[in-house]
Amino acid sequence: MNKLADHVWARTYPNLGTDAVPVEPCISDEYFHREKERLFKRAWLKVGRIEEFAGPGSWKLKPMRIWDTSIILVRGNDDQIRGFHNTCSHRGNRVIWAEEGRGRSRNFFCHFHGWTYDMQGQLTDVPQEEEFLDSFKRCENGLTPVAVDVWEGFVFAHLDPLPRQSLVDFLGQAGARYSGFPFGEMTAVYSYRTVLNCNWKVAQDAFSEAYHVTTIHAGSFPDGFEAKLCDVELIGPHRCSGIRMTEQGPNPSPIAGLAHRLGSSSIAKPGMRTELPPMINPRRDPAFAFDLAVLFPNFLVHVMDGLYFTHQFEPIAVDKTLWEGIQCFRPPQNAGERFSQEYGQVLQRNAWLEDTATMEATHAALSSGAKKVMHLQDHEILIRHSYKAVEDYINS
Amino acid sequence: MSKRVLPEPFAQLECWVERWALDNQNARETVRRASSSKELQAFYDAMVGEMDGIISHLNNFPLDNMPPLQARLLYLTLSLAEVTPHVELYRGNSRVPYSFEEERFVADHGAVAHYLGNLYASA
Repeated sequence: MNKLADHVWARTYPNLGTDAVPVEPCISDEYFHREKERLFKRAWLKVGRIEEFAGPGSWKLKPMRIWDTSIILVRGNDDQIRGFHNTCSHRGNRVIWAEEGRGRSRNFFCHFHGWTYDMQGQLTDVPQEEEFLDSFKRCENGLTPVAVDVWEGFVFAHLDPLPRQSLVDFLGQAGARYSGFPFGEMTAVYSYRTVLNCNWKVAQDAFSEAYHVTTIHAGSFPDGFEAKLCDVELIGPHRCSGIRMTEQGPNPSPIAGLAHRLGSSSIAKPGMRTELPPMINPRRDPAFAFDLAVLFPNFLVHVMDGLYFTHQFEPIAVDKTLWEGIQCFRPPQNAGERFSQEYGQVLQRNAWLEDTATMEATHAALSSGAKKVMHLQDHEILIRHSYKAVEDYINS
Repeated sequence: MSKRVLPEPFAQLECWVERWALDNQNARETVRRASSSKELQAFYDAMVGEMDGIISHLNNFPLDNMPPLQARLLYLTLSLAEVTPHVELYRGNSRVPYSFEEERFVADHGAVAHYLGNLYASA
């Protein structure tokens, strides 16, 4: 049977090889430690959207467990978004007393001894400053910065305040292919999260192929999607592909049909996909359903006409991952559009409940040592690429 | 005569208001999970044939400033969106078959009343 298939992706990307892939990187504490130090502390990571920072003084406190810190992201009076460790320069107290949150203020005030910082992270006030000794200079004791940059409205941060590669260079052609997609217009947000007791790659892999759709999504998407990828592009450590509908497409039920008529709000709605930038669905295939991209290391972007959604898999421990899935639409203009979005986002949530169903049991089974390798078929090429990209980055 | 709770043309749906006219997603999910297959089907059957008329009616009102009767009717349609996959796709199962524990999914928007997508509006 294998001889009949032409293994188009294995032929296109021969450097990835054809061997079974070891599962050790998903279950090894030592490997996780190397990922943390050599990958996540050396890569740009998505930390938010610009819409979260409405104006000067808007801030977000974000735990960055994989960096062993939490960061304050804040928009300054100059409109620039900056990032700082949430650590007072005096004796290390948390400046914002919370695990996470959002707010708007003129300055940050440490409640331990009253040290105060402005939105640029500069230390502006120290009570009884004259009592400090010569070794202390106020101008040298601002908050410790991290690098922050913005791509298509997504806010990214890098632990190194002066990273050797800019965000735009890091994303390269994988980022450039989205140029022109109206992310900034899709500000109606449905955001889900949970902590999964599995390795971050076990979770991410489940969203990196379409082979699973006919079985795991037999409930929510019982027909209409092809199990094969199209337009696969492996760009440095990043990976992109298209997902197609079958010739018949999904068979809409009465209410799904109504939701499709009232709005543009589901991956299961057929359409001409005319809004997409030229590098996405490059052949303008009318059966194109959505674009599936993994921006290295852990940020997935799916775009299609009228909506996009993202996933992020934030490692907490070798067997613990914070997953965040966010769906974004244009703000609804009337009740029909609101209903259409609700139907689309609820069905997508349910599909994510199906996706996440396997992960914890998979991780537990892999941890048993019963299987040393996983077998990947040709249309699981993105997963094959992922393990190599992680390994290469760790060793770079 | 008791006071109207839905717009006049949809008065026949008033018996569903107490259980299903819920202004936030968490509440709609909780009631859906607590409903039997028969209850989901009955609500779906009552709504499905009315949807074109309901949407035509509601589209005459501003989404961000709906009068109370219209807002209640909108919440019924959002409950229908919540219930529909269970009737049309999951054979009446009030949970998603072969799925992760739904209670562990946290919707950041889930508790917001009359949610229109503006999750970051408060910042």
